[in-house]
Order: sequence, then C-alpha cells, then structure tokens
Amino acid sequence: MKKNIQMPKLSEQMESGVLASWNKEVGEVVEKGEVLFEIEMDKVVSEVESMESGVLEAVFFEEGDEIKADEIIAVINCD
Amino acid sequence: MKKKPEWLKVSYNKAAVEEVNRLMAKLKLNTVCKEANCPNLGECYKKKTATFMILGRTCTRNCRFCNVTSGAVEPVDPKEPQHLAEAVKELDLNHVVITSVTRDDLKDGGAGHFADTIRAVRELNPGVSIEVLIPDLQGVQRDLDRIIAANPDVINHNVETVRELYSVVRPEADYDRSMAVLEYVKKQAPHIKTKTGIMVGLGETDEQVYQVMDDSLKVGCDIFTIGQYLQPSPQHLEVKAYVIPEKFAQYKKIGEAKGFHYVASSPLVRSSYRAEEALKEGKNNDLY
Repeated sequence: MKKNIQMPKLSEQMESGVLASWNKEVGEVVEKGEVLFEIEMDKVVSEVESMESGVLEAVFFEEGDEIKADEIIAVINCD
Repeated sequence: MKKKPEWLKVSYNKAAVEEVNRLMAKLKLNTVCKEANCPNLGECYKKKTATFMILGRTCTRNCRFCNVTSGAVEPVDPKEPQHLAEAVKELDLNHVVITSVTRDDLKDGGAGHFADTIRAVRELNPGVSIEVLIPDLQGVQRDLDRIIAANPDVINHNVETVRELYSVVRPEADYDRSMAVLEYVKKQAPHIKTKTGIMVGLGETDEQVYQVMDDSLKVGCDIFTIGQYLQPSPQHLEVKAYVIPEKFAQYKKIGEAKGFHYVASSPLVRSSYRAEEALKEGKNNDLY
C-alpha cells in the first residue's frame, strides 16, 4: 500500500515551512520513527519522524522549498 | 531569518502531538507548549508531559518576546481546575507545571483560580508535585498569599531578561517588582521552592546575567533557568545572538557556584522544561 506523506502543521499558526533537508533518498528503506526530513521553523529546525515503514518511493519537493502545510510531499510504499 | 545553529534541532512525532492535543481539546484545556509554539513540544508530548496554561489563551500584556495572543480576554472557566486535575491523572504525571496568561483585568489577577487549581490537582492526585509559574500579580501581596496558602511545591516567577533590557523586552513589567514577588514568597513560605529564569540572546552581557543571578540569590531563589530566546515570528523581537552551548555550561557552573540549588542552562531550556528533574536533582543533592 502506498501512503502519502504530508507537510505537517507543526503549530497552529504555521501556514508553510521550509524543507531544510531530506534525511532519506528515493529508493531507501525508512522505518517508522526514523527521521525522514527536517523543516526550518521560525524558532528551530524540526526533525520529522516517519509515521510509516516502507520504501521512499517519490519526493515532490527539494531542499529549500517553501511548502504549504498539509501538502503532499512524498510517497512511501509500505508493501 | 538567521540560519539556525546545529544545536537548535528538535524532534517531531505527529502521532504523539495529536494524542496530547486531543486530550487537551476534550478537557477544554490549553497548554503553553502549544500557545507559545514551544520548541520542546514534540519531545514533551512524546513523553506525555505538558505545561498547562490556565485562565484562557489571551493575555492582557503584550511582551515583545512572547507568542501568546494578547487582547480581549475570555471569561474564566470554573470547571478548569477539575479538568486540569483529570488531565494530570490521565497523563499519569508525577510533576505538573501550571502557568497562566497575565490577567490584569481580574480583581485578584487570577490568584484564586490558581489556588483552586492547585487544590483540585492535589485532591485527585495525591503525591503529585505541583509547580506554578505565575505572573507578577502586580506585586499584590494579598493575591500572592492566596497562591502560597494553596501550598504548591514550587512557585516560579520568571524575570525573563536582565534589568537593562526590560524596556525593550517586557515594557509592561518591572524588574524590581518581579524580584519582590520572589522575595515575598520565600519570606512567607520558606519551604516552598522558588524559581526564576531568563532568556539569553537578546543582547545582554555576561555581567548583566550574573547580576540577575546575584539579585535572585539575594531574594532567596532556589532554582534558576537559562535558555536561548527564539523569535516566534518576524513580528517579534529579533534574536541578537545564538549563544553557544559552552556558554550555557559556563552559566550553569557559575550559577551553582554562586549558590543556586539547581541551575538548568542550555539552549532549549524553558522554565518548565524537565522541571521535575530540576526539583529532583536538588533533592538528590540533599539540598532540599
């Protein structure tokens, strides 16, 4: 099963965030709880843990991109 | 936006954050973690701990560093003390930190509500240590007495910054009044631990930081916290410097040598961050 990964809304006021880095490459295995990507926030950089285990199948944004909250940024193949 | 140094990285687990958020919504409670957009929210919520914020989500003051909304305030929820006590039970906390917005509009500044909350938490959760992080209550001793009478384990009141930066950072507060609050609590109830803290990175000098330590010790303060100021939004005060971790370690060493029972000092320290450890660490050192 494929799962869409969304840009999390890290605070109530957050409308968008800057993707600081991908910590996994496309094709790489990712375990639930591992850091998948980092977001630059006003106060800090947040390391976002994966909610799924699987293979990172696709990413739709690059580092430095500003992304709206809830936008789909990647797909993980959980099969 | 200044580039964040490596040490300002925090973890975020969506499921843990959503779980605590759900509980707070169910019990109609607020957390300062969420309202202040605290960088430690992910870590604390994952450990199922939070700092409750009573008396609404809106503050009557407008400090330049703070992310809490200011403006027209909400009516006080009389069920809040009971709901908060239930949340402490549900989260199975050993130590609870309760803070509030500043309510200069209320006759007692919210002191009675604080006292009711302390009592409700204690009644439902005997054995839980209670820490309150209070506003200055305009220095009114009668109001402070109401909180002291409820007998929390720790009374924390933050001076927030050095005296020299008050006009910029806390224009509606008064450094001496905050020190007087700490002094009064200690005099009235020496067994209650007192605690204060500051943010650094706002342009203060080392000498000014050490002066706050000296002033706090002079009024009998037991626990001191120091953390990096982080700008909540472009509309807030700018970060003047990202203080390096080694400097925080130096502040801790000097603060404890000066006489504090415990100093928590590192970039992501907030006054309620790992508050239970601050209380226990002192105890383990036979200081309490």
